[in-house]
Amino acid sequence: MKERLLLLWRNLTWTWAPDSNRQASEAVVKNFWLHWFPSRISLRGLGWGFSFWLGTISACLFVILALTGLLLLFVYIPSIRDAYWSMKDIDNVVVFGWLLRSQHRWAAQLMVAVVFFHLVRVFFTAAYRDQRVWNWYIGIALFVLTIFLSFSGYVLPWDQLAYWALTIATGIAAELPFFGEDIRFALLGGNILGQSSLIRFFVLHNFFLPALVVILFALHMWRIRKDGGLACMDRLIHETKSKKIPVSPTKTYSLLGVTEGTTIQAATTEILDESNSVRTSPNLTRRIALVLLVTTIATLVLALAFPVGLEEPANPAVTPIPAKAPWYFLWLQELTAITTIKIGGKSISGGLIGGIIIPGILGLLAVVWPFLDRSPKEAIGVWFHKTRNTQNIVFTIICLAVISLIIIGVYMRGPYWKFYWPWQSWPEMPTLF
Amino acid sequence: MSEKEDKVPRRFFLEVFGKVAVVVALFAEAFGALKAFIPQVLYEPPSKFKIGKPDDFPEGITFLPEHKLYIFRSGRGFHVVSAICTHLKCVTDWNSSQREFYCSCHGSVFSENGANAEGPAPRPLSWHPLSFAPDGNFVVDTGKKVERYYKFTI
Ligand code: HEM
Ligand code: FES
Repeated sequence: MKERLLLLWRNLTWTWAPDSNRQASEAVVKNFWLHWFPSRISLRGLGWGFSFWLGTISACLFVILALTGLLLLFVYIPSIRDAYWSMKDIDNVVVFGWLLRSQHRWAAQLMVAVVFFHLVRVFFTAAYRDQRVWNWYIGIALFVLTIFLSFSGYVLPWDQLAYWALTIATGIAAELPFFGEDIRFALLGGNILGQSSLIRFFVLHNFFLPALVVILFALHMWRIRKDGGLACMDRLIHETKSKKIPVSPTKTYSLLGVTEGTTIQAATTEILDESNSVRTSPNLTRRIALVLLVTTIATLVLALAFPVGLEEPANPAVTPIPAKAPWYFLWLQELTAITTIKIGGKSISGGLIGGIIIPGILGLLAVVWPFLDRSPKEAIGVWFHKTRNTQNIVFTIICLAVISLIIIGVYMRGPYWKFYWPWQSWPEMPTLF
Repeated sequence: MSEKEDKVPRRFFLEVFGKVAVVVALFAEAFGALKAFIPQVLYEPPSKFKIGKPDDFPEGITFLPEHKLYIFRSGRGFHVVSAICTHLKCVTDWNSSQREFYCSCHGSVFSENGANAEGPAPRPLSWHPLSFAPDGNFVVDTGKKVERYYKFTI
């Protein structure tokens, strides 16, 4: 009986604890869920300290967001009249609705942060060089999508926060030369924020953007295989090759035996042996399950400890004092507030300079950086390689600048965007006009 | 022999023709799909509307929250200034002691006549034209702008 159950399990899933190398690779190759993994994984790539598993954590957060979001979708009503009250119902009436919503919101905030730190890791380990430049570009797109996802979700409760964040964000879009007003018009589905705006952001948030993320994520994973594993593999190949270990002439399972020669995948499979690698099943699969578990617990604990709230219902006539965008946009809001310049009688709006030109330059820098990077190949896959000090410092300064602007925006901007130290109290404000 | 030579250009023609047709069809489809995002009907209040009779507005400034407008009256003269900040479109507040408009979003300050005095706002607040409807109500057209110091005298 036990044998039978075990066989059933194996047929349905995978060989959990394979007895031989052959079984281990079959467990991966013959399994739909695992076929995107290599059959052996290097110990370095598996370690906690190289990647900090930040990409996997991002993916886990996305899974949590998709599941909690799917449940919220059953009880949320995308209408400007009912959205806010359906959110209130989620918080107060739906059984465990408040928990779902809080977990969704916390996971969303975490995802923006974790995806950013994943990018920082990739930069400091020079993991965007040569063939990996495609994954760098796919990653930038995923980062932008994550931010748009989070923002479009922020709009859905249609409370004061949502309404004024959308006002400011589409105000920035309108500053784009030539097409700005048209883009704002198309985004909002009209000249003012209304039902057509909410339904647009609802569809973007719940179908369009997540679908793009899923597709790009699949490409991202496929490229990792094509690129010969994580960047630390390049070091391993280099070190092993220099030890001049003769390649076994009988090895035929490179790229499932379809190809031979020195493709990067072949090089990878050729050097992985008992001394520097382990079987993917169960070593990698177990770790992924562990990361998913820890990420789930973390979001749950945050949601339990700090359930999220709602502001007042959206009121087009009253701008809250101060009106702030979500934290990951506050550096932009801060920039739009301080970069308006006056030349002669003409003014150039901070909306254009801080909201479009500066982030545009940062995006462009990210795109061309792999080509400006002149560090040697030895730097690939190494944290803070000494030949990269200058560019690491430049990158750190840019990141710190963004982070400081966020901190100023969150903690030091009071009513009318005036500067207050965190220990200074804000003046009393009349709540209505 | 000659038959074969004939066939090549015809095939070539069909191939190019086919590819061009596919590309054109895709572009037409994409264009149509994108056009669907530009609303043709707006479910929003018109930009030209009645705001009430002259006697509804006391001397000084009246804020109309649903239209985001300030109505100024001095004796028989009226004018209308938009409350929408020219920086990123938040709504400004009138501060009656300073006689200035404050924007709570990024702290722009506008003087009483709408001129941008401080903060990130790049342009003055808009002024809109007034007219009379046959029933004696004022009509504002927020789709149009007028010069500063325009005055509608009754
Ligand atoms: C397939 C994936 C997703 C689905 C089906 C989904 C669904 C939803 C739904 C129905 C809401 C409205 C209810 C509510 O506000 O709680 C919502 C809100 C939200 N979503 Fe998502 N979502 C998904 C992924 C994401 C992702 C990837 C992010 C960000 C990284 C995100 C960020 C947010 C935020 C910030 C809110 C506002 C939550 C609040 O105000 O409480 N969502 N989502
Ligand atoms: S929107 Fe008024 S100052 Fe930015």
